[in-house]
This record gives sequence, structure tokens and C-alpha cells, in this order.
Amino acid sequence: MWQYLVKRIISLIPLLLVVSFVVFMFIHIIPGDPARLLAGKEATVEEVEMARQSLGLDKPLYEQYFVYLKGLLSGDLGYSIKSGAPVSKLIGDRILPTLGLTFLSILWALIVGILLGIISAVFRNRWPDHLGMFTAVSGISLPNFWVGLVLIQLFSVQLGIFPTGGADGWKSYIMPSFALGAGIMAMIARFTRSSLVDSMKQDYIRMGRAKGLGSGSIVFGHALKNSLIPVVTVAGLQFGFLLGGSVVVETVFSFPGLGTLLIDSIQFRDYPVVQAEILLFAVQFILVNLLIDIVYSFLNPKIRYE
Amino acid sequence: MKKFLGFLFVLMLALFSVACSGDNDSNAGNEGKSAKSSEEAGDKEITIAIDQNFITLDPHNAGDTVSIFGIRSMYEGLVSFDENMEIIPALAESYEISDDALTYTFKLREDVTFHDGEPFNAEAVKVNFDRIMDDANNLSAKRSLQFVDSLEVINDNEVAFKLNEPFSAMINKFAMVPMISPKAIEEGTKYVEGNPVGTGTFKFVEWKQGTILEVEKNEDYWGGDQTNVAKVIFSPVPENGSRVAMLKTGEADFVYPMPQQNVKEFENSDDVTIDESPSTIARYVSINTFKDPYSDLKVRQAMNHAVDKEAYLQVVKDGFGHVLDSTMSSETQYYSKQEPYEFDIEKAKALLKEAGYEDGFEAEIWGNTSSETIKGMEFIKQQLAQVNIDVTIKSMEEGTLSDEIYTPEKPEDAKVQMWYVSWSPSSGDADGATRGLFSSEYFPPNGANTAYFDNDQVTNWIKEANATADTKKQEEIYTDLQRTVYSEAPWIFLATDINLAGRSNNLEGVYVAPDGSVNISKAQVK
Repeated sequence: MWQYLVKRIISLIPLLLVVSFVVFMFIHIIPGDPARLLAGKEATVEEVEMARQSLGLDKPLYEQYFVYLKGLLSGDLGYSIKSGAPVSKLIGDRILPTLGLTFLSILWALIVGILLGIISAVFRNRWPDHLGMFTAVSGISLPNFWVGLVLIQLFSVQLGIFPTGGADGWKSYIMPSFALGAGIMAMIARFTRSSLVDSMKQDYIRMGRAKGLGSGSIVFGHALKNSLIPVVTVAGLQFGFLLGGSVVVETVFSFPGLGTLLIDSIQFRDYPVVQAEILLFAVQFILVNLLIDIVYSFLNPKIRYE
Repeated sequence: MKKFLGFLFVLMLALFSVACSGDNDSNAGNEGKSAKSSEEAGDKEITIAIDQNFITLDPHNAGDTVSIFGIRSMYEGLVSFDENMEIIPALAESYEISDDALTYTFKLREDVTFHDGEPFNAEAVKVNFDRIMDDANNLSAKRSLQFVDSLEVINDNEVAFKLNEPFSAMINKFAMVPMISPKAIEEGTKYVEGNPVGTGTFKFVEWKQGTILEVEKNEDYWGGDQTNVAKVIFSPVPENGSRVAMLKTGEADFVYPMPQQNVKEFENSDDVTIDESPSTIARYVSINTFKDPYSDLKVRQAMNHAVDKEAYLQVVKDGFGHVLDSTMSSETQYYSKQEPYEFDIEKAKALLKEAGYEDGFEAEIWGNTSSETIKGMEFIKQQLAQVNIDVTIKSMEEGTLSDEIYTPEKPEDAKVQMWYVSWSPSSGDADGATRGLFSSEYFPPNGANTAYFDNDQVTNWIKEANATADTKKQEEIYTDLQRTVYSEAPWIFLATDINLAGRSNNLEGVYVAPDGSVNISKAQVK
């Protein structure tokens, strides 16, 4: 297992090199000129050219890439073109709020989603199941910005319980994590239900029933664990996505997360910030996938990694 | 077991439905609910919600409106703008311009100290000047001083700027150059960015990138007791609905911009006032006069007659705007009102017939991806369809659009036909509202003359206006210039904006200047 982990982590390095190269090339190839955007609408050619030189954007692309790579290997992510602030600070300021929001969203989505899934599976085709799945479908279909605005209207404007936005204290995390987690909760509920329904039809469950096990012990002791593999896959992928920040929910709640930073940076062609952020997402995604693989082996001891 | 699960399920469902049902019954209680403000506690603290993040707090390197007004809460220049964007003395008591318009002499105030206790004097001006002019620093304020050749320190309280060529907007540009404490400058650029030290009515407390900027009252302000607010928090809230909600909950005392579609919600409010103020933003469609059929004046005039500007204001701006009746907004220096092109389809058709385009032609309009721009372009398309001009809308993301517009080296390479865009001169001056837009020396990529408007007289006028220090003469020139350009119709002249802000009724003295900057220096909480 440990050997496997080390191997997986070492294999990250070439992957990240490829990612860094692809990201670098893509962001430089798309039209748009940060020098022009930096110099402003009233700028003359000379001023744009001056801005370009000071940013080092006048050099050939491969040279720029090696400069970037050299910085990257020595841990220097460079400076934002737009604000001049160190990229590491821009990302550092936003990574903790994003992580907090992600964990909170996934956590409640997992708990509620799995419970809802179990209820629906146990009461299959009866009213709790229909209602449960109705809730799940609503969770998927309601756009999260709408849910966000409704939450603000209700809990901030009407009841005054939670602040409308920001990331000061735990209270400001409640509504965004609800809005973000609703869709994931719904997805998890559906996966849990269908997977659990499948498991309940298996021979070993019938065997358990024949032995006279109670329904609680059958569901929680035997069926559920075997049903969770697809759930873990879905939850893990969603977790990976959320780590990248959510532009929509961050915008609605004026939440200082990574999503809005990325969009702002792409719009401004703020190359250093975009590169660093996408690289970070790649690392996070790979690590999350690794985590999913490890969880598999706990859920099903037959899955072994060498 | 089943009972337990059933109970859990009902509980969850109840919670979820409570959370989701808010939309229906939420409107009822809105009106009467008071905008409780933080002042209730008596600590006189206000929150100002704005739509964008601060990009930088380096006063010599800020280009965006939000950063600029954040900076202006803590810094001042030798001169500054009043609420109508007229120049008023600030750190300079008075100034004099030589007859050849090449020397600007400032008499400095003697009673001013920076927030760190450093004295403000001629030496401080010199340190600031040197910082800006140093190419290695690559600061955007250098553009404001592009015509300045040197600075002469006459004595401790007098300085003279020498220009290498006359520039009519120079005095406005001095208002764009705030003075930083020499001690802070000594610490280097990184220090200046993170630790603003100016002379303004407010002092820096904290800036969290992407969240808030906090400033506190400067008790030692040279101009005396201007405000009774101890602390101001600027909070960037990009989402319109959330910003409005903050005003309703009392989390914010001032909200700018107030989304035009939300204004109605506050019509009968006892707690909130909607402030309307004029703006320097002019909205128009630039027409590439270098291309056929747009090279024909009659075609351009026909296009102007074919668009109903009043309808434009209602449809696109929700009624919040004025018809653009010159080449610049009424808030710009030397503005001179023109007779707008009246909405007259028959006249437009007749003009097109004279030009030989009775059956119309196919056209393309470009714009960015914002919903208001798309709405505006659709409106233009629908209006021009009445005179058989078949418009295709091409909406492009800002970076791509800017590339398409500004990279063509020669007018003949430009692909743009019509561009739906807006312009506002950064320092409210006539030069900023004309030179880059109408001088033939400023075709892209050199400037923003995207109409490729080529009129020797206009180009010369712009130079002449700069060459004189006589403001009467300047006014005459700019009046002639506006008349000429307006009649040549290089744009479809649409509208000027109205700045909309939402303000809690117990707050006064905070306003939005025509350039879209929020001024807090005289904030008073009742």
C-alpha cells in the first residue's frame, strides 16, 4: 500500500509538467493581450509595447515557458499582471475559505444524501421513496445561484440570521455551502438509492434475511457498505470540482474563493495567476482521485493496490 | 428501524422545504423592514458595498475606478475634483499656469502632514515625482505626467512643473496623481502597495484582497473635522441581488452601483434613498468610416435617424439615462449641446436612397458579452432593420474583442464595422474625450479612434486646443469641434448614463462623482 502511494505520488511529477506545458500554451494562444489590457484603452502603441516588455511578453514563447518553469521549480509562482501582487499570496488568501466551503458542502451533502438514498431504497416505490426522489430531483434541477439568492432573501433579508456574504466566521459559510451542496446531495441520494436497491437483490442479502437478520443489520451491516463504491466515486469527483471554487456561488455570496479569482484572471489574461491556479487544480484533482482509490480498498477489501 | 428512518426523512424534508419556500412569501415583509444600521451601536461605522474588487492600492499605479476611489479615501493630490469634477485646490493652496502653457507653478499648503507624521512639502512632491518618472518602476501615473519634462523645487512650499509641450488637460491630470509619504516610498513598491500612507480624511487600516478595505478617520486632517464616521468598510459584492440585499438588511449603508431593475423596490422605502447623479459615461456605436458603405456621410446620418434614442433609454437603460446630445457627456469639460438626430424613419430611408442604398445592406455589430451590451446590440439590430439594414450581432469576450479591435496595423486591415461601446474620459477633461477618439493620429493600434474618423480640421483643432493656456480659446475650439464631429456622425449617438446609488437615510455626504467614483470624505451619520 505505502509503496503504491509513493509510486502514485512520484508519477505526479511528469503529469504536472505536461499540465504546466499545456496550460501555458493554451492561455498564451487564445486571443487577448494582457499588455493592451494593462496599458488601458487610452494607451498608445509605445505604451502597450512598454508594458509588454516589462511583463517579459515580448520574448519568444518557449523562452517565456522556461522562465516560468524555472520559477515554478524554485517555488516562485511569479506576480499577477493585473495587480502586481505575488500569485502565491493571491491564491493563499483564497485557498482556506475555498477548502472550508468545499469540506462543509461535501460533508452535509454526503450525510443527507446517503440517508435520503437509504430511506428511498428501503421504502422503494412507496411514498417516502417518491418524496425523497422528488427532493433529489429538485436539488439537481434548482440552479445554485437561484437557491443562493432565495437563501439570502429568506435568511438574511427576512430573518436576519446569516450575513448576505463574505467569509467572516462560520455563519457566512452556512448558506453558500447549502447552495453548493444541494445538487451534490441530490446526486449522492440517487446513486445511493439505485446502488442499494441493486445490493438488496443480491443473494447474500437473501441469505441474511433467511438467517433472520433484522432490516437494520441487513441495510447498515451488509448492503450499504457494498453500495457505497459508486457513491464514493461521484462524491470524490464533485469534491475535486468544488476545490476549484464555484464562480456562481462565490459571486452570489461575495465569497473570496478560487473560482472568481480564476475567471477574473482569465478575462484579464493574467497568465501567471491562471497558470498557477490550474496547476493547483490539477494537483488537487489527482490527490482526490488517489484518495478515492484508497477509500475503495476500505469499502471492498478485495480491491488491493500493489 | 423503519419508523426511525421515516422520522428522519420527514424531518429532512421539512428542513429542505423551509429553505426552498422562501421565494414565495418573502416579498411581503420587505417594505416595512427597517435597514438596521451598524450606527445603532453608536460607533459610527459604515459599510459601502461596491460591484468590483480593488485591484491595487498603489496610488501611482491604479487604473480602474474602484481602486482609484478606494485610494482617494486616503490620499490627495495637489488639486482634486469636486462633485461636478471641477478642479479645486487640495494639497496646493493655489496654482498658476504660464502664458505659453508650459509651466505649472503650485503653492503648497504648509499645514499638512502625512498619516505617518512626515511633513508635506516641496521635497515630498519631488520624491513622488521621481518615483513616477522612474522607468524602472513602470507606474501608470507616468501617463498622466507624460508631457512633464522636469520638476523644479522653488522653495520649501513652491514647486514648478515644466512641460515639453502644451497640454490642455494637464491640470486635471495633476488631480490624478496622489501624494504618498516620502518615508513610505523609501520602503519600496511592495510596501506602498500594502501600506497606504497619504494625507486624506481617512487612514488605512486593513485590506484583504478579494474581500474588504477598511479605513478609519484621520483625526489630524489638515482640513479640520470633515466627517463624524470613525470607520468605513468597502466591501466588494459583485452580484447585484446580493448587493441590494445588503442594503435591505442594513449590512451596507451605501450601495453602488444600484442595479437599475431594483430601483422600484425602494420607491416607498422609509429607510433607503436612491441617489441619481450624472455620469461622464457616453454610450454609442462607433461606425468604421473607412469602410463602404459607412464612408458615405448620408448612410451614417441615416443610421442615426433610424435609431429611436428615447426608446433605447427605456428598453436598455430602464429609463435611467439621457440622450447623448454631443460627442461627450454633459459632465465633461467644455461640453456643448448639439441638436440630436431626431428619430425619423422616412428621413433615414430618404438619406439611404440618396446614397444608393435604398434596399439597405448587410452589417455587423460587435460588442462584449455583458447582458446589457447584448440587449443594446439587439435593440440596434431591430431599429436598423426598419430601414433594411440587416445587422448581424457578434458578441465577443472582452480580451478577444480588444484584440480584434486594436491589433490591425492599418485602417484597411480593420474588420470592425460597428462597435457597441462606451467611453468615459478618466479625468473628465475634453482632451480625454476627443483626442484618442477623433484625431486621425489615433487610429488603432495607436488609440481608440475606432471609427477611423479622419478630418484634418478636427485633428488640428485638438492640437490647437492643447497649445494654448487660454481657457476661453479652448472652449471655443471644443465647441466647434463637437459641432463638426456630431454632424459628421462617426458614431450612432445613444445615451449618457445616470449613476444610481442606494443610500441608507441616516447617512449623508457620501456621493458618486460623474466618473463613477464613490466619495466618502464628508460622510456624516445622523
